[in-house]
Amino acid sequence: MGNKQTIFTTQQLDAYQDCTYFTRKEILRLFYRYRDLAPQLVPLDYTSHPDVKLPYELIGSMPELKDNPFRQRIAEVFSEDGEGNMTLDDFLDMFSVLSEMAPRDLKAYYAFKIYDFNNDDFICKSDLEKTLNKLTRNELTEDEVRMVCEKVIDEADLDNDGRLSLEDFQHMIVRAPDFLSTFHIRI
Amino acid sequence: MANILLSEASGTACPGELPSLRLRRTWSNQNYSQFNWTSHSPDNAEEERTEEGDTDWDLREKPLTMALKRAAWQVQHSQAPVVSNKDSWKRKKTKTFRKVKNNSRELLYVLSLWRKSLQKIGGNFGGGVQSYFVFLRFLVVLNFVSFLLIAAFVLIPSIVFRSVESSYTNSTGPEGCRKYEPHPPGLVLFYNYFLDLLSGTGFMEYSYLFYGYYSNTMVEDRDFSYNIPLAYLFTALFYFGFCLLCIILRMGRAVRVAIATGGGDVGNYSMIVFTGWDYSCLGDQATKLKQKNIHYRLQVDLEEQRIKRKAAALTLCEKITLYSLRVLMGILSLGLICSAFICIGLATNFSQENSDKEGILGLILEYLPSIVITTGNFLVPLLCDQIAKVEKYSPSNTVILALLRAVVLRLLSLVVLLYTLWNQITCGGDNKSEECNLCQYNHKDYPCWETRVGQEMYKLTLFDVLIHFALLILVEFPRRIVVDHSSSKLARWLGRQEFVVPANVLLLVYGQTVVWTGALFCPLLPLINTIKFICLFYFKKITLFYNCQPAHKTFRSTNSAFFFLLVLFIGWCWATAVMVYSLAVIHPSFSCGPFRFFRTMWSIIPTSFYSLHQSSQEFLFFVGSQAFLIPVFVLAVVGLCYFISLSAVYGNSVALMRLQLKREGRDKQFLVKQIEELSKKLHIPTHNTTVQN
Repeated sequence: MGNKQTIFTTQQLDAYQDCTYFTRKEILRLFYRYRDLAPQLVPLDYTSHPDVKLPYELIGSMPELKDNPFRQRIAEVFSEDGEGNMTLDDFLDMFSVLSEMAPRDLKAYYAFKIYDFNNDDFICKSDLEKTLNKLTRNELTEDEVRMVCEKVIDEADLDNDGRLSLEDFQHMIVRAPDFLSTFHIRI
Repeated sequence: MANILLSEASGTACPGELPSLRLRRTWSNQNYSQFNWTSHSPDNAEEERTEEGDTDWDLREKPLTMALKRAAWQVQHSQAPVVSNKDSWKRKKTKTFRKVKNNSRELLYVLSLWRKSLQKIGGNFGGGVQSYFVFLRFLVVLNFVSFLLIAAFVLIPSIVFRSVESSYTNSTGPEGCRKYEPHPPGLVLFYNYFLDLLSGTGFMEYSYLFYGYYSNTMVEDRDFSYNIPLAYLFTALFYFGFCLLCIILRMGRAVRVAIATGGGDVGNYSMIVFTGWDYSCLGDQATKLKQKNIHYRLQVDLEEQRIKRKAAALTLCEKITLYSLRVLMGILSLGLICSAFICIGLATNFSQENSDKEGILGLILEYLPSIVITTGNFLVPLLCDQIAKVEKYSPSNTVILALLRAVVLRLLSLVVLLYTLWNQITCGGDNKSEECNLCQYNHKDYPCWETRVGQEMYKLTLFDVLIHFALLILVEFPRRIVVDHSSSKLARWLGRQEFVVPANVLLLVYGQTVVWTGALFCPLLPLINTIKFICLFYFKKITLFYNCQPAHKTFRSTNSAFFFLLVLFIGWCWATAVMVYSLAVIHPSFSCGPFRFFRTMWSIIPTSFYSLHQSSQEFLFFVGSQAFLIPVFVLAVVGLCYFISLSAVYGNSVALMRLQLKREGRDKQFLVKQIEELSKKLHIPTHNTTVQN
């Protein structure tokens, strides 16, 4: 296949292919999606490794993400600066993890990070409450939220410290057959 | 930053020691050591190198930022590979193999039928509805492959031989039994063609569609011999075996998933919270709906808890009343189901007795069993739903009970239909009765009884598709138009239709069971069924997108896959029972079909067996003898015991490890408390760290 594109060097494309679950075509297609968000900011030539970061507002306005209640957390988890402003690398990484072919453990790791709102490597009660409210659009009553949080920690907390660590989360995900198909964004 | 990483990485002796790389964010190292590095721990790195000829571990699986991954990739590819020719050849082979695997996976993905539609359905309506359409696609493929099988071995040879030879050997048997006139003499009115199309009589009766048209040609050339009756029988047997294999393979996949997740009840809330959100959900409407859905599921679970608590707090008197009420309602629902069966039996008898009426009345009488079955299957679950409101089971139990009742009703109504038919054909099993004395079956009413049975199955299939189409046009579209455009109380109470998955799946299973039952007598039925299911796919898709609202009550798609296949398997068992009965017990018709010379359909196998070569006969005798079968059986039992004990051992280890984890957590708490107490005693200030490993 002829190497007609001039956006990346062959080495860059090979590196991207080995570091993500995308093929050459898909990487180029994703690049064009990234560029469409802000054509004036993103150059067409990445061979010189330009340092371009798109602000969170643009990322959050993508049709695949704009209705997702967790879009801010997703952007924060995958961005370099932790604020949601993403470079092309972060962009590719994000969609690679959320693609169909990423393995369960990798997805579980990032899902844990997404639901960990205060970034303390544990999902505590307040994180759970925030997750629940985002899931049900604040329609559960206080009582119900409290009951559900208690039940979740009851079910998943194995080392009995009142909050979920990464192993507890992964242990629970192993028993969830739907996880791979729900933690998936098509692009 | 990348330079620092590069120098650090190249400084380490073995690139497998990733934990030495500094990470950018405030992630503690501990999290990484807990991550699943299993295949890449330093002690495994040696094996890795010898296996792949290169430390080419899968970078994609590492939860690093992209820049780190690219830096590591750089390191990998900048190292001059000091490998032998053999290793580099092995490396190239693994790379090409991986590429081929990826390409073929992509190709299969692109070629799979209706992939985009299924994705759209899943995104908008959830996994439960999507599982229905996946099941439908499986049935379409199954039926199409079966049709190819039948066409290759029975249909095409029949067509070829019929066009080549024309002699019909005189059949043996009493004169009276051989009369069969599928083309009644006289003028055939035009609309009769249409009636015949719908009921399988007339010009359709004596055609490749039904058993009666196939003749018992046995062609024997110099090097080529083909025995149509034998081919017919073997194709039917192989068709059933093939369907069983497909069902079991799919069931195996579903069961494995179900066992790995340890059933549905454990971890219900955490499942909903952490895996309930579908990230591929697009659009504002769909998102709101999904949120409402999750809200509803959580509420249902909390409600079940409340009900359980209330039920446990009932007094003895209340408990007795509740249980007696439940028993009463159970008897009532059983009575309803039995009355439905009686109606079906009566309708079948009536229809068979008056099968000589002409015109539209005749058509309605022909379709009477189908009409009664469909009405019964519509009314009885409705009534049972009302009964269930009195029974006051918990929501999940109510769903299971309703499903069970519906399954029993659907499959047993088919049983009743066939039983009534059989009774009529064999005069109630009484060979000495007046009608069945001559030919051992009722030759006056059923000169070619196999075709008759085939026609009944054909009518059932056709009626199913017509009813679906009629419902779509006459009920579902008007309902949506009324609900959307009028604001009367009726419209608001009616609401938009919901796509109820279990009822629709039962319809599919029923249709497939009908096809299996009728395949022996109507060889083209799988083809008709394929077309029917394809039409059904598009009907249901249209109705889903235009008329339905997403269901508030979700149907769990993981357990349900196994349940659908189980019900399908029950249908298969029933169809096999019917086939065995027709093959081994009833005398085939003297006047039509490929088996007209034989005492039973099965008896062609012994006759052709003796025409085999002597050594093949001896081999087959040996395979069927006890000396062979008993050791095979014993080996199979031993293998089964081994697998059962293996799975038990795994289950035990999992339970033990879970217990161990709990104990370690408790030990940790205990130790922390001890440390705090000690430090208080000795007045040593402790730093407030959170508990680390």
